[in-house]
Formats: sequence, C-alpha cells, structure tokens
Amino acid sequence: MTVSRAFWKIVLKNIGTIITYSVMLIIFGSLTMGSPTTTQYSAEKPAIVVFNNDEEVGSTKGLMDYLRSHTEIADKYEDNDELKDALFYEQVHLIVTIPKGYHADVAAGKNPEIETRSSAGYTAQLAKSTLERYLTITQSYNKLGLSENELVEKVNKSIGNEVEVGVNSKVDTTATSKAARYFSFANYSILACVITIICLVMSSFNRQAIRKRNIVSSVDYKTMNRVLLRNCCFYALGVWLLYVVMGAFLVGSADLMNWRGLFFVLNSLLFSVCATSIAFLISNLVFERGAINGVMNVVAIGSSFLCGAFVPVQYMPESVLAFAHVLPSYYYINTNNRLVEIEECNFESILPVLINMLIIVGFSVAFIVVANIISKKRRKIA
Amino acid sequence: MFWHNYKNAFRTLIKNKALVFWTLVFPFVLAILFNLAFARLHDYDVFEPLDIAVVESEQMDNSQVFKEALKTLGEGDNKIFNLKYTDLDTAKGQLNDEKIVGYVYANDGPIKVQVKKNGVNETVLVTVVDQLLQSSRIIDEIATPQISEYAASGQPIDESTIAAIYQEAVKTVMEASPNVKDDSHVMNIVSTEFFTLIAMACMQGAMLSVELTNRSMPNITNRGKRVAISPTRKSVVVTSNLLAGYTMLFVSVMALILFTRFIFGIDYGSNLPLVCVVAAVGSLTATIMGVFLSIILKTNENAKNIIVVIVTMVGCLFAGMFGVTKGFFDSAAPMVNKVSPVGLITDGFYSLLYYEDMTRFWVNIVSLLAVAAVFFVLSIRGLRRQNYDSI
Repeated sequence: MTVSRAFWKIVLKNIGTIITYSVMLIIFGSLTMGSPTTTQYSAEKPAIVVFNNDEEVGSTKGLMDYLRSHTEIADKYEDNDELKDALFYEQVHLIVTIPKGYHADVAAGKNPEIETRSSAGYTAQLAKSTLERYLTITQSYNKLGLSENELVEKVNKSIGNEVEVGVNSKVDTTATSKAARYFSFANYSILACVITIICLVMSSFNRQAIRKRNIVSSVDYKTMNRVLLRNCCFYALGVWLLYVVMGAFLVGSADLMNWRGLFFVLNSLLFSVCATSIAFLISNLVFERGAINGVMNVVAIGSSFLCGAFVPVQYMPESVLAFAHVLPSYYYINTNNRLVEIEECNFESILPVLINMLIIVGFSVAFIVVANIISKKRRKIA
Repeated sequence: MFWHNYKNAFRTLIKNKALVFWTLVFPFVLAILFNLAFARLHDYDVFEPLDIAVVESEQMDNSQVFKEALKTLGEGDNKIFNLKYTDLDTAKGQLNDEKIVGYVYANDGPIKVQVKKNGVNETVLVTVVDQLLQSSRIIDEIATPQISEYAASGQPIDESTIAAIYQEAVKTVMEASPNVKDDSHVMNIVSTEFFTLIAMACMQGAMLSVELTNRSMPNITNRGKRVAISPTRKSVVVTSNLLAGYTMLFVSVMALILFTRFIFGIDYGSNLPLVCVVAAVGSLTATIMGVFLSIILKTNENAKNIIVVIVTMVGCLFAGMFGVTKGFFDSAAPMVNKVSPVGLITDGFYSLLYYEDMTRFWVNIVSLLAVAAVFFVLSIRGLRRQNYDSI
C-alpha cells in the first residue's frame, strides 16, 4: 500500500506532463484529421485564382464556367503578397490570368496567350492539366472554322461527355481515416506519457538513498517490484483509457462503436502495453532524471517520424520505412492504416492486422526480457 | 571581472548535460529525423509516372486512336504513365494490391476507368483518359463529315483514303496545343519545416538564459545569494552571463543552419550575411525571453524550462512545424505569427528566400527586435532594486 501510495504521489506531481501531451494529442490529432474520401468517384478540385481581364461572354464565359465547375475558385486574397504566400503554402494551386479580348481573339481563330503561375506538387499539375484540357479542346474545334456560339456549344458538349469511372472501395473512408489519423498521432502521446512518468517514478525509487531505505524495509524486493509493475500497468491503462475516451469525442463515438473501432482500440491497448515495456527497459538503462526527458523525446519523436505518425507513409521513402520495421510503432501505425480500407471483417482480411498485433506483443515480451536481464546484472554488480 | 564571469558562465553551461542536450543535440536529432521523413517531399514537384493497366480486348483494339495516344503517354522521358497491358483479372488483382493506380478497359461498350479510391493520382488518370477520349471524338467529328463528303461526291473510297483523312484529323488535333505562359517560381514547402526547426532551436536556447539568470537570483539558488552579497556589480554579472548564453546559442544555431544547408541541401537563399542576421536576432530574442521568464515565474527551474518548451512548441505549431501550414494559421489567426518569435524567425528565412523585395524581411527583423525590447524592459523592471531583509 505504501509503495502504491508513493507511486501515485509521484504520478500526481507530474500531472502537468500528462496534461501537456494530452492537449497536444487533442490539438494535433484534430488538426490532422481530414482528407475525406467516399465510395463514389469524385474528382479532386484544385484551388485556383482567376484574374479575368475580359468580358465574361462567349469563349471567356465558357472557360470561366468550366473552371467554376472543375476547380475551387478562391477570391479571398486581397493583395499580391497574400496570394504569393497562398501559392507557396499550396492553399492556391494555380493562378490564371485571362487577357483582355480573349473571347474576340478565339472567335477570330487565334490562340490567345493565358498566363499562369502554379505551386509545387501533384495538385498543381492537376490544376494545370485541367486548364489545358479545356484550352486544347477549344483550339481543336477552333480549327474547324466554327462560329463563336457553335464553338462554345461544341466544347461544352465535349467536356460534358466524361468517362465512366468505377471505384472499388465499398468503405466510406471519411470516418475510418479520421480514426486512423487520431490513433496514429496517439503513437507519440502514448509513448511520451507512459515513458516519461514510468521512468520518473522508477528513477525516484532507484535513487540511492531511497533504495537503501527500501532494502532495509520489511517489504521484500519481489513484492515491491510486483506492486510497482502492477501500478505501472494501471497507469498505462489509465492513459490508454483517457486517449480512447478523447478519441471517441474527437472522431465520434458512433464511428468507434463497430468492429473496426474495436480493432483501433485493441491495437492502441496493445501498443500501450508495449510502451510500458519500453519504459521498463529505459528505466533500467537511464537513471538520471535530467536524461529521461531527452531519451523519451528521442524514442517517441524518432519512432513517430520514422514510422509515419506525423508524415503519411505514402510520402515517406521506402528505405526509411524498411528501417522502421524494427520499431513497434511501425506495426501499430500500419494496423491503423490497414483498418481504414478493410471492407469486411473476416479472417482473411483481418489476418495482417492480427499478425501486426502479435508482433507488437512479441516486442513487449522482448523488451521485458531484456529489461530483466539488465536488472539482474545490475543487482549482481551492486 | 566581466570576462572572468563570462568564462565561468560558459563553462557552467557546457557542463550541464540536460541543457546541452536540449539546446545543442536535440535540434540536430530533429533535423536528421525531418530529413528522413520528408526525403520524398524534397522532390515531390517532380512528377513520377503513374502505374496503370490497359485491359486488352476486342473493343479496346477497335479504339485504335485512343490506344495509340495512350501508348505515346507511356513513352519518352516525360511520360505520364507506366503502362501494363494485361487481362481483366490480373488488372483487378493488381488494383486490389495497390500495384496500379487504376485500369482502363472496354469490355462491353465505351471505354471506362476503374480506380480503388479517390485521390489526386486517380484524378490525374481520369483527367488524362477524358482528354484522350475527347480528342478521339473530335478526330471522329473532323474525319466523318469529310468521308461522307467524299462518298457523296461519288468518288471511290478505299481504306487508304480513310486512313489519310484520319491521319490529317489526328494531325489537326495534335497541333492544337494550348498557349499557356507559365510564370511560376516553384519552391519546396518542406524548406519551411527546416525554417521552423531553426526557429525552435533559437527559442529552446531560452533555457540557457533561464539557467544563468536563476544562478544570479538570491531567492532561487544559493549561488544567487552569494552573487547578491559579492562586491561585483549586478549589471556586470547579468550581462556577462547573458553574453555567454547568447554566444553559445548563436554558435549552435549557426552550426545547425550550416549542417542543414551543406549536409541536407536546404536552401536558405544566397544572402548568407542576412541568414546570419536572422540567427543573431532570433538568438538575442530567445536569450532575453529566457531572462524575462526566469524573473516573472516564481517557480523552480524545471517548471520554467517546461514553460519555455510549451511557449516554443505552441509557436512552432503556429509556424507550421506539425503538418498544418503557416499559411493556414496566417489566414485563421493573422496576428499570432506577427508577434510570435518562432513565427517571425520562420517568416524571416521564408521572405529572404521567396521575396525579391526585402521590406518583409526587415519588418520581421524589426518586429523581433521590438519583441526583444519589450522582454528587456520588463526584465529590467523586475531585476532592479531587488533587496532582501532576510531570505
């Protein structure tokens, strides 16, 4: 009882750390939720800004109508600097300037110049090809010597005749990807919260003066270790429960109340257990209180960056992901990503998720075994 | 006495392992992690060809113009697609395994596209196929009336005549290229992640001046009590301490800038003296902020350092370090990055690289100096005339 009371006293002393990482999870977890996709094919609409110096009639109207339906036209940018920044930060992907007299030039069979400025990345490429598609079709029909009205009509008809697209996925990934992003970001918060506090508690009990007092106390070291271990597990469970409840609020409890949600929660539980085992190992290796924060940050931030908790895995180099296979966070985040797209819950579809979970359990056991070996050696030296 | 104190303060900082980790080692660790995680984003403006499958069938063979046009998009240095010609079952399997973005097929009627999910790559595939189909239709629209005209005139029409008419139509459509003048100055958004990292390294350096100020405060440390009763003037102690902290911080920030510039190739622009100005003013602001926090917060050193980390990390969030761009926060809360030192340092590097006009750069530097001046005045007010009857 005394050991437990001391344990929770130290935890309460460091409640600020727990609150800090939880607030970080709420802020960053909710900010990174997004990128909705649905079961129907819907084209990505790049954000563009159009400076139309011409009258909106004839071909100019046709072009403007096309851009309105195929892109998101932004009109909130007031000055050039603001627009330049928006282009850099990819809030706007393309700036189109339609010259004065565009429609008259097209009607006269010319090919008037359109100025563009684009941002980097695929969406900017998409915005450019969307614009060029319309201009190419206009130019092709323009060679037939049609009147302006006929030209606009033909171009619109051609544009409206779009290819039929089928989408394989039967899962509405809007909600599932939200949950995956939240739980993937929780990788950092779980590691940070569990490692920091458990290591601080263990370092307090391992301080020489306290250790000597404990050795001569009536509680034998086996009982004390058992009580400490039990409390560490309770603490990790508390952190896990807190993050699941926070997730239910942020993602929506309805989206977690199904088999998929159950796997998200189970995966995070196993990872919390693994984080506890990592904390045990670190507490056997690092004794200085000042160093604990440093080691925790390298472990938590390092594995979060390398395994795709902060940057989506599709943007990460394969060599980094190959290396990430040696870290438990990789299997935790990989499970979250897999769960997004699984359509039906059957043994075949769930098998990769179960294998990942088993690997996490394997990591936990390995960390505990290594921690025990180190602990045993330390006792012999003492 | 000034230089004696300066040397001692410098030695004390170097011996404090936790401080050395947070101010010297941690930013380098983060820089390495950033470089690993964002390695592919470094060149993400380079378009990589998309893997797609074309399902072979009789109907697909009938759409010869479309098939040929698709083939040309899979050839050359600027190809858009890596094409795989296959049967329907294999294409379905490859799509499920995400080995291809989608497949094009025409089993029972018009040409269709099948994708696994929505996304930019899928939209690129659909847009290009759309464009090709539209071009095919235009070619038909050009060629069909000419063939009818030919037939109506009573002249004999053979396959080679039809082919010639179609070739002419294809040429007409292929020559119809848009007249677009691209005036883009494309810059990689990943650079800003490193700018925020440098800003973070500057602001974490406030811990150095927190430590040094604590050492001269009688109500916090025993050393502070000894300093208070020593004959050395307080102004000499404080300024020599701050200069030692500032030197260490500025050197470490410059080392980080050079490390990211020459090892990872991060572009800070060609004006190195002005890059040093940002680092120097940023380090100065952080040093004075550390003094200010150390004076106004009546708590232990650990808590003060945690507050420095929180202030820095919140600044980093608004400056775009954690996935959501600075541009988003500039629109949502325009004032934050105009007063936050992290935002001002990040914007200083950004404006140096992206803007030809230097006005914005100097506005950032003056704003940083103004923030430093406010902290300085408040710190002086807190430090002056501190007398203790007993402590």
